[in-house]
Amino acid sequence: MNNPTRKVVVAGVMGAISVFLGASHWGFVPWLAGAALTIMHVPVIIGAILEGPWVGVAIGAIFGAFSLLQGAIAPTGPADVWFTNPLVSILPRLLIGPIAWLAYRALRQISEVAALAISGVAGSLTNTVLVLGALGLLRFLPWGVIGTIAVTNGLPEAVLAAVLTVAVVAAWKRIAIGQKGSTV
Amino acid sequence: MNRPSRPSEFELVGRVTIGQYLPTNSQVHQLDPRAKLLMVLLLAIGVVASDSLLGLAILLGGVALCLVSARIPLGYTLDGLRPALPFLLLLALLQILVIPARGPCLRTVWEWAFFSVTDRSLLAGAVLALRFVVMALGISLVSFSTSTTELTHGIEHLLRPMQTFGLPAHEAALVVNITIRFLPILAAEAERLLKAQASRGADFGPGRFGLLTRARKLLPLLVPLFLISLRRADQLVEAMEARCYLGGKGRTNLIQLRAHPRDHLAVLATSMVVALVVYLGSIDVEGLILSSILPCPT
Repeated sequence: MNNPTRKVVVAGVMGAISVFLGASHWGFVPWLAGAALTIMHVPVIIGAILEGPWVGVAIGAIFGAFSLLQGAIAPTGPADVWFTNPLVSILPRLLIGPIAWLAYRALRQISEVAALAISGVAGSLTNTVLVLGALGLLRFLPWGVIGTIAVTNGLPEAVLAAVLTVAVVAAWKRIAIGQKGSTV
Repeated sequence: MNRPSRPSEFELVGRVTIGQYLPTNSQVHQLDPRAKLLMVLLLAIGVVASDSLLGLAILLGGVALCLVSARIPLGYTLDGLRPALPFLLLLALLQILVIPARGPCLRTVWEWAFFSVTDRSLLAGAVLALRFVVMALGISLVSFSTSTTELTHGIEHLLRPMQTFGLPAHEAALVVNITIRFLPILAAEAERLLKAQASRGADFGPGRFGLLTRARKLLPLLVPLFLISLRRADQLVEAMEARCYLGGKGRTNLIQLRAHPRDHLAVLATSMVVALVVYLGSIDVEGLILSSILPCPT
């Protein structure tokens, strides 16, 4: 699939899903003590898997720009305020796509489904590590707190991202998972 | 139709609004979108690079001046800031009490048990709050005074010089455009999915669920949403190719942006102010003022 028009359109559409998930709050899953898990980065991962790393960068940029805007215009939680800093909101998000794509490319030969799941985990952890790392480097949060968030939020987010990535891409590419489904 | 003041859980279209444009046709509205984008970019650089309270106050004054001359009602601007205030106070307190302050000489203002508040940590708390306010007002100013069409044209023109480095400016602007145009479609589709699943007995009402339950409830909404969008993307690709879309090369625009002297002036003035603010941060102007009033405790 090397169609430039398709790359542009998929980037735009996946960017829209990411923004929609944020604006409608569908993208937040309530979790311990008000710290919501997010799945807004899943469109970035899926876009990168389907159309390559540059599409991932473009969707990541949209995701980042939106979280910057949301932090500035309509913050929904205490953490949103930090995201007015582009070093936290935009820069780390650019790398989600390329890393998810690399993971997918490296493992695709072995097992398509495993590659999708690991790609979801890798993309999600990229988001967690880089965003929290930026928060730590800018001294918004002490490193101890960051470690706790990385475990309590980062790991469940990675699992959610993996489940969604597998479900969507497998359905789109018609990859059979297990023996379920109609045998007629 | 009378809309209830609180949108129901099935109403998504009205909730997805970005870029509230207020057409007051002021001086600020008439500025070239490229100039406004550059100015907000410069503002972001100033806000991030400088940790001088005085510098940030200067930026705040500049943004406030622009908001007034853009004839944007004060209530409108403050409405956007209000939801952030409690978080902001909390964060500033956290910064003051928890994060250790750094500096050549720290004067302790208040001490209790583990907590010690120094002049530096008070400054850091104020800087954190002000940073947010300046950035939020700057971004709202641009979104109030620039329509989305102007914005995408501005982005495309600004990215053009980057084409020499291989960045596809036209494509990048088109991606932004598709995202903005696609949002209402997506909201309508999501609303339809939500109703369809609810009519089959799914319960999406408020309540505390475990992670797994919640994730299981989201899957039947999110997976179709992704698939519908990908299908729509396919249709859009076909429609564009049927109309002989060949990318940005050799394409001309219906709307031609022309920069006026006032646009150059506005960008020049902004960059001068930002340079001053960054300079104030680099010489640590607050530290200098404090040391001239109070001696450093040894």
